[in-house]
Amino acid sequence: MNILLHELRAYRKSTIIWTISLVAIVALFMSFFPSFTKDTEEFTKLLEGYPAPLREAFGINLDNFFSILGFYCYGLSFVTLCGAIQAMNLGTSIVSKEVREKTADFLLTKPVTRTAVLTNKLLAALISIILTNIVYVAAATLIASQVKTEDFSVSIFILLSLTVFFVQLIFIAIGIIISVIVSKIKSVLTISLATVFAFYFLGMFSATSGDEVKRYLSPFKYFDTAYIIEKSSYETSFLITGAVVIVLAIGASFFIYTKRDIHSV
Amino acid sequence: MNVIEIKNLTKTYGKARGISDISFNVEEGEIFGFIGPNGAGKSTTIRTLLSLIYPTSGSATIFGKDTVQFAPEIKKEIGYLPSEVFYYDNMKVKDLLNYSASFYKKDCKKRIKELAEIMDLDLNKKIDDLSLGNKKKVGIVQGLLHEPKLIILDEPTSGLDPLMQQKFFELLEEENRKGATILFSSHILTEVQRLCNRVAIIKEGKIVTVEKISTLKENTYKKFKVETKSTLDPAYFNLKGVNKLETKDNMTSFLFKGNINDVMRKIADIEISNLWIEEPDLEEIFMHYYEKEA
Repeated sequence: MNILLHELRAYRKSTIIWTISLVAIVALFMSFFPSFTKDTEEFTKLLEGYPAPLREAFGINLDNFFSILGFYCYGLSFVTLCGAIQAMNLGTSIVSKEVREKTADFLLTKPVTRTAVLTNKLLAALISIILTNIVYVAAATLIASQVKTEDFSVSIFILLSLTVFFVQLIFIAIGIIISVIVSKIKSVLTISLATVFAFYFLGMFSATSGDEVKRYLSPFKYFDTAYIIEKSSYETSFLITGAVVIVLAIGASFFIYTKRDIHSV
Repeated sequence: MNVIEIKNLTKTYGKARGISDISFNVEEGEIFGFIGPNGAGKSTTIRTLLSLIYPTSGSATIFGKDTVQFAPEIKKEIGYLPSEVFYYDNMKVKDLLNYSASFYKKDCKKRIKELAEIMDLDLNKKIDDLSLGNKKKVGIVQGLLHEPKLIILDEPTSGLDPLMQQKFFELLEEENRKGATILFSSHILTEVQRLCNRVAIIKEGKIVTVEKISTLKENTYKKFKVETKSTLDPAYFNLKGVNKLETKDNMTSFLFKGNINDVMRKIADIEISNLWIEEPDLEEIFMHYYEKEA
């Protein structure tokens, strides 16, 4: 419990900053919506001029682009990208922060098991993400209802928004497994940006090829916004894949961390 | 009763030297010195005891319990001070100590205050703003605040000024009187000599000897360097117990083992302009041991 509180206190500032950033992105993006809908026809023409693969890579779907949900999906991909970076930072720093700041000796000579240390740190990261998402979903819904030109389904809107959370969970898991495997991480941001963007571009390319199987390669493609809008649910096979990735990565992290040597510096 | 029992402990890391086949015991209530040069394996041994790293083979028990299997339980009664202390920078000293205390199921508030007073530590400062010496003090308070039965110190004096070092040693002696067992690792012989009852000497990952300090002292020699006003007969200091006698211009140097009064009388009889008497450093103690064994 004490570790959890300590970690939460340590995350307080970054959680607030990330939350504000995510809300700012969605606010900025949605503020374009009213002027955007005024010139629907011209924009459609403009966008039709772009090759279809490019549109797909950027997640622009002409069928629903000018509805508020469709428009939101486009902005959501940036929010998800940022959220993934936040999550990856959290996940990667769980173990590597102690190594880099050389505080692992302090913590691990206390009467606690390594499993307890990792569990509490993971919980703190999870709580940080959950708080971010609660504020984000509330703010995004509020903003959307302010700029809407016609009514929209709030439940689908929330389903869409929650994909940020699920993607974040996957990236926390990826981050933590990287941080227990790589013994010394000098800069968390470098690792997390590289990983997140690698998956992001992988996702973009898999979208252009239109190959369903390739979607499994990038967590960014596990949630097809067009599918969610149409069916108001997620695709089960991708949910399962995401869950498996998370369970495997976290399970392996616990296994490695409890066995690993903590070297002095 | 043995508080620490180390049996054939071996730790190898790839190519780098670790420790091999280390065995020794630390009895309850003693201050046990653990000396050796940098890289000899002191920290590796200590980190294995604390199960920060795991042994390749062999085992160790603390309070009769296996250090790997019962690590969290054992650590309730261990206070550890690493050679380099690093703490969460953006915390206040007070918050860090309270965080540290929160791991032990006892009220440590009073003890924290006492220790901070003895060590002259400002609890309201941020750890960021502390000098190396003051960080070390935080480490000392952190290691002792739960009144542990076993105190493990890994080169604890670096960064402390002589006055603080003195206070720290008094503190350790006090804890020892109250019943704490202390394992004190160092590469500085004098501080080990001052505090410890027994020492283990480690070199290149192996224990060279485990000896009482009193025995060790009898066997060690002092380094003399005498500067005289005029050139001295090189044979002047040629008495029993003198080794490696060298004379260069007005400078005479030699090693001496035996009754120190004999040498002092000899020195008193001549006109000198300067005099140095030094304790042998650790390396020389080792030489001594190797010579004895050979």
